[in-house]
Amino acid sequence: MLSTLDLAWRFASREIRGGLSGFYVFLACIALGTAAIGGVNAVSQAITQGIAQEGRSILGGDLRFELVQREVTPAERESLEQLGDLAVMANTRSMARLTDQSDQALVEIKAVPEIYPLYGEFVTEPVAAAVDIAATQASDGAWPIVAQPLLLDRLDLAVGDSVLIGNATYRITGTIITEPDQLSDGIGLAPRVILSNEALMASGLIQPGSLVERVYKVRTPEGTSDAQLRAQIESLNEVHPEAGWAVRTRANAAPALAANIERFAQFLTLVGLTALVTGGVGVANAVRAFLDSKRDVIATFKCLGAPADFVSLIYFMQIMAIGLVGIALGLALAALAPFAATAALAGVLPLPQGGTGFYPGAVMTALIFALLTIIIFSILPLGRARDVPASSLFRNQVGAQNAVLPRWPYLLIAFVAGVLLTALAIGFSFDRRVATVFLAGVAIAFLVLRIVSRLLMDGARQIKNVRGAALRLAVGNIHRPGALTPSVVLALGLGLTLLVALALIDSNLRSQIAGNITQRAPNFFFVDIQSTVVEDFAALIDAETAAEDKLVRVPMLRGRIVELNGQDVSEVELPPEAAWVLRGDRGITYARNVPENSTLSAGTWWPEDYSGEPLVSFSAEEAGEIGLEIGDTVTVNVLGRNVTARIASFRQVEWESLAINFVMVFSPNTFAGAPHSWLATLTMEEASADREGEVLGAVTRAFPSVTSVRVKDAIDVVNRVVGQLATAIRVAAAVALIASVLVLAGALAAGNRGRVHDAVVLKTLGATRGTLIRAFVAEYAILGLATAAFALAAGGVAAWFVVSRIMTLPWSFSPDLAVVTIVVSLVCTVGFGLAGTWRVLGQKAAPVLRNL
Amino acid sequence: MAEPVIDLKDVDLTLGGASNPVHVLKSVDLQIDRGEAIGIVGPSGSGKTTLLMVLAGLERADRGQVSVAGARLDTMSEDAIAGFRGKNIGFVFQSFHLIANMTALENVAVPLELAGEADAFARAREELEHVGLKDRLTHYPGQLSGGEQQRVAVARALAPNPAILIADEPTGNLDAATGKQISDLIFKKQRERGMTFVLVTHDVGLAAQCDRSVRVRSGEVFSGDQGEDALKQAAE
Repeated sequence: MLSTLDLAWRFASREIRGGLSGFYVFLACIALGTAAIGGVNAVSQAITQGIAQEGRSILGGDLRFELVQREVTPAERESLEQLGDLAVMANTRSMARLTDQSDQALVEIKAVPEIYPLYGEFVTEPVAAAVDIAATQASDGAWPIVAQPLLLDRLDLAVGDSVLIGNATYRITGTIITEPDQLSDGIGLAPRVILSNEALMASGLIQPGSLVERVYKVRTPEGTSDAQLRAQIESLNEVHPEAGWAVRTRANAAPALAANIERFAQFLTLVGLTALVTGGVGVANAVRAFLDSKRDVIATFKCLGAPADFVSLIYFMQIMAIGLVGIALGLALAALAPFAATAALAGVLPLPQGGTGFYPGAVMTALIFALLTIIIFSILPLGRARDVPASSLFRNQVGAQNAVLPRWPYLLIAFVAGVLLTALAIGFSFDRRVATVFLAGVAIAFLVLRIVSRLLMDGARQIKNVRGAALRLAVGNIHRPGALTPSVVLALGLGLTLLVALALIDSNLRSQIAGNITQRAPNFFFVDIQSTVVEDFAALIDAETAAEDKLVRVPMLRGRIVELNGQDVSEVELPPEAAWVLRGDRGITYARNVPENSTLSAGTWWPEDYSGEPLVSFSAEEAGEIGLEIGDTVTVNVLGRNVTARIASFRQVEWESLAINFVMVFSPNTFAGAPHSWLATLTMEEASADREGEVLGAVTRAFPSVTSVRVKDAIDVVNRVVGQLATAIRVAAAVALIASVLVLAGALAAGNRGRVHDAVVLKTLGATRGTLIRAFVAEYAILGLATAAFALAAGGVAAWFVVSRIMTLPWSFSPDLAVVTIVVSLVCTVGFGLAGTWRVLGQKAAPVLRNL
Repeated sequence: MAEPVIDLKDVDLTLGGASNPVHVLKSVDLQIDRGEAIGIVGPSGSGKTTLLMVLAGLERADRGQVSVAGARLDTMSEDAIAGFRGKNIGFVFQSFHLIANMTALENVAVPLELAGEADAFARAREELEHVGLKDRLTHYPGQLSGGEQQRVAVARALAPNPAILIADEPTGNLDAATGKQISDLIFKKQRERGMTFVLVTHDVGLAAQCDRSVRVRSGEVFSGDQGEDALKQAAE
C-alpha cells in the first residue's frame, strides 16, 4: 500500500512540474473560501480569548452581584464584604439638562465609589478628572462628573461647563477615554456619565421603585480560583436564598457579548461556507478541464500497465497538492485577519493581552471545510477520469465521458464528504436550526440551478427556425455539448441568490425600522415616573399636547425569573432565542384588563376584583419557546422577595409596535403595596421635531427625575447598529459573490478556448466579426437574464422566509433590487464574456487551422 | 508447429449506441506466432485499429476468444489486463503519447516503475542509450524533435522487455527520412529480441518489411494470398 502511494506520489509530483496553469481560479476559490472561514473564526476566537483574558477588567471585579430597585440588606452586605474588597455602584438613566433648561439629553449614569475601578484602568482627559469625581460638592454646589465626549457634542458643552441632572448641578471635569468595565455594565443608548455615589444621591433620582441597577463588585484575595468563586456563590445563595441577585464571575464577564460574537461569527462562517461551496463549482470546472487535458496521459498510463484506480490516485494527489497551496494561501490571509481586526476594533471590543496570535482551532475548521470541499467537487471528475479508456489513444472519444456517472465508490466518497461537511457545518453552529435551513437552502439552490440550466438547454434545443445567423449561433451555443450554460448558471446563480436574499432582508429590516416601526411607535417613552407625581405628570402632558395625542401609563417594576415550576432557572435548558427572557431583569407590570397591542391566545383573564392566588399572563411566543403551559408556576424575584404566580393565560404580543408591552403581566393583587414607578408612552399625531422638543423640555423642566426617551433617537441608534451589522454581512456576501464571479470568469475563459476553434472556422466560412459579437452577446445575455430571474425568485423566497417566518415582520419586495440584480448579472455575463471573447475574435485563422 | 502467441477466434465487435451500431469486427480469426512480425493494412475505417485494440486488451470483444501470450484477455478484469499489458505488450503510437511533464528518462522508466522494478531508472537509461538518446535523458518531450520523441516512445515500449510490440502508424507523424530511421530501429530491436511485432500502417513499404501482412476490410480479416494480393493492390 505504502509503495503504491509512494509511486503514485512520484508520478504526481513529476506531473505537477507543469505548473499551476489552468488552476488559478481553483486556487483563488479555495484561498478565498478558506480565508473567509478561517478569518472569521480567528477573529471571533481572538475576541472570545480577549474576553476570557480580560475577564477581571471587563467585569470590574472577580465577582459581580446585581440587584434592581433595591440595595443589599445589611446582612447581605456583610456577607459580600467577607469575600474581599467591595465596590458598591449604581447604574441608572436620566436627563442631563443645560443649566438654562434650553436643551437636554438622555444620559446613562454610573455611580462609583472611591476605590473604582477594582481592576483595569479608568482613563479620563484630563487624567486627574478620574480622581476628582470622588471629591465632594464644590463651594458653588456643583458635583464633579466625567462624561463621554458624545454628551458634550450633543449639548454643545465643554469641560468645565455645568449640567443639571435630577435636582442637582454637576460640573463636567473631564471626558471618559476608557471605562474598563463598560462591556459588563452594558453599552446603553445614550452617552455615559460617571460620578460618585454621593453625587448620585444628591440628584434625588433614587426613590423607592426607581429603575436603579445596584451593582456590587468584589475583588477577592489574590489566588482565589474559579472553583472557589463558584463555591462562594453557592454558599451565598444558600445563606440568602431570597436575595434574587444576578451573579457573574470573571470567567463569565460578558456572556451576552460572547454569545453574540459567537452567533455572528457562525453566521459569517455559513456565508463563508457558501463562498467555499460556490468556489467548489470553480474547483469542479478546473478539475474537469485539467483531467480533460490529461485524457491522453491517463490513457497512456493505462496502456503502460497502470490500474485505473491507481491513475485516479495520481490525479487526486495532484489536485490535493494544488488545493493545499490554495488552502495555505487562504490560511495565511486568515492568520492575518486577527491582526487587522485588532487594529480596527481596538477600544471597541476586548482583544487578547499582548496582541493577537495564532488560532489552531480556526485554522483546523477552515482546513477541514476546504479539504472536504475539494474532495466533494473533484471526486466526480476523478471518477470519470478513472474510466477514460486506454483505447482513447487510438480513437477520439471526447465528450462521451462526461455524460456517464462515475462508479459507485466515487459517488459514495462524494456523498460521505458532503454529509461530513454538512454535519460539521451544523455541528459548529450556534443555532443548528438556522444552519440546517441555510445549508438546505444552498443544497436546494444547487439542485434547482442544475434544473434551470437543464431546462434552459432543453428549451434552446427545442427552438427551431431562429431568424438570423447570430441568434441561431447563440441559441446553439446554449445547448451544444460542452456549453457554458451549466457553469454560468450555477456559478453566478449561487452568488446572486445570496446577494438578493441578504439585500432583501436588509431592505425589509430597514424599511421596517425607518418606516413601519417609526410610524406606529409612540413619540416618547417616559421612565421612572414616581407614583406621587404620576397624576401631575399626566396633567402636564394633557396641557402640553393636543386632544388627539395619546398618553398611556402603566405601573412598572423590575423582576428576575428565578424559578419555573419550582426548578432553578440556571438548571433549565433553553433554546438560544428564548434565553433573553431568563437573562437578567425584565420589566413587569400588573393590570386589571388585557393590555393594548396584545390579544389573549389561551387561558382566561382574571376578574377585575380578583384577590386569590397570584396569577400571571405570559407572552405566548416566549412561553412556547421556554415550553411553558397554562397552570405552570413562575417565581419572580422583585425587590428582594420571591413571588410565585400561576400562569392563567397567554397573550399574542405585537412587539414591533413598540407600544408598552411586557412578557409577564400579573394580577393586580400580586404586588399590592409594593413601591413602584410608572412607565408612560406618548403618541403625538403628526408632531414635528420642534414640537417634540417643546414637550420634552416641558417634561424635563417640571419633572427632572423622569427619564424621557425620544423614540426617533433610539431608532437612530438601532439603525446605526443594524447598519454596522449589515456592512459586516455585505462584506461576507461580497466574498461569496467574488467567488461566484471568479468561477464565472474561469468558466468563460475555459469556454473561450473552445470558441477560438469555432470562431476561426466560422470566419473561414464567411461569418463577420459583427455576426460573432452579436451571437456572443445574445448568448451571454440569455444566460445572464435566466440566472438573474432565478436569483430574484430564489433569493426572494429565502428572504421572505427569513423576514416573515423567522423575524415575523411584514414582507415587501424591492423593485430597485430586481433592476440592480439584472444589471449585475448582465454586466458579469456579457461583460466578462465579451472581454474574453474579444481576444477570440482577433484570433488569426491560419495557426488554428493548421492544428485542426 | 509453434503455438501462436496471439490467437483470436471468431471475434466479433459492434461499436456505437443502439441507435447507430457499427459492426466493426466480423468473426475475425487471426493467429500470430511468437517472434513473427505482421503488418495489418486496410483503408481508413476498415477496423484495423480496432483489431489492434482487441488483441492488446484495450477493447473487449462482444464474442469470441482472445488469447495473448497464454492469457485469455476476454475473461480478465480491466486492472488485470492493465497489469498484463504492462509486462507483456509494448506500444508505439503515431502521436508518441509521451507524458509532457516527465523527462525522457522518466517517461521510459514509467512502465518499469509500474511493474515494481527496483532498477527502473538504470534500465531506462540503457534503453535510451540503445535508441541513441544518451544525451537527451533529462530533456522534456517539448525539447525533443519528432524523431527523438518517437525514439523515446520506442525505448519506453521496449523497456519492460515485452513479448509483443504493437505499433500504430509509428512513422505517420514523421518525415520520410526520420520515419525510415524509426522503422529501421523498431525492426532491428524486434529481431534482436525475438519479439512478436504487430504493425498497423498505411505504408505498404513498411508493411512489406514484415514477415507477412493481413488486410482488414469492412471488419473482416483477409490473410494469406488474399492479404498479399491486397498488399500488391494497394502498392499499385
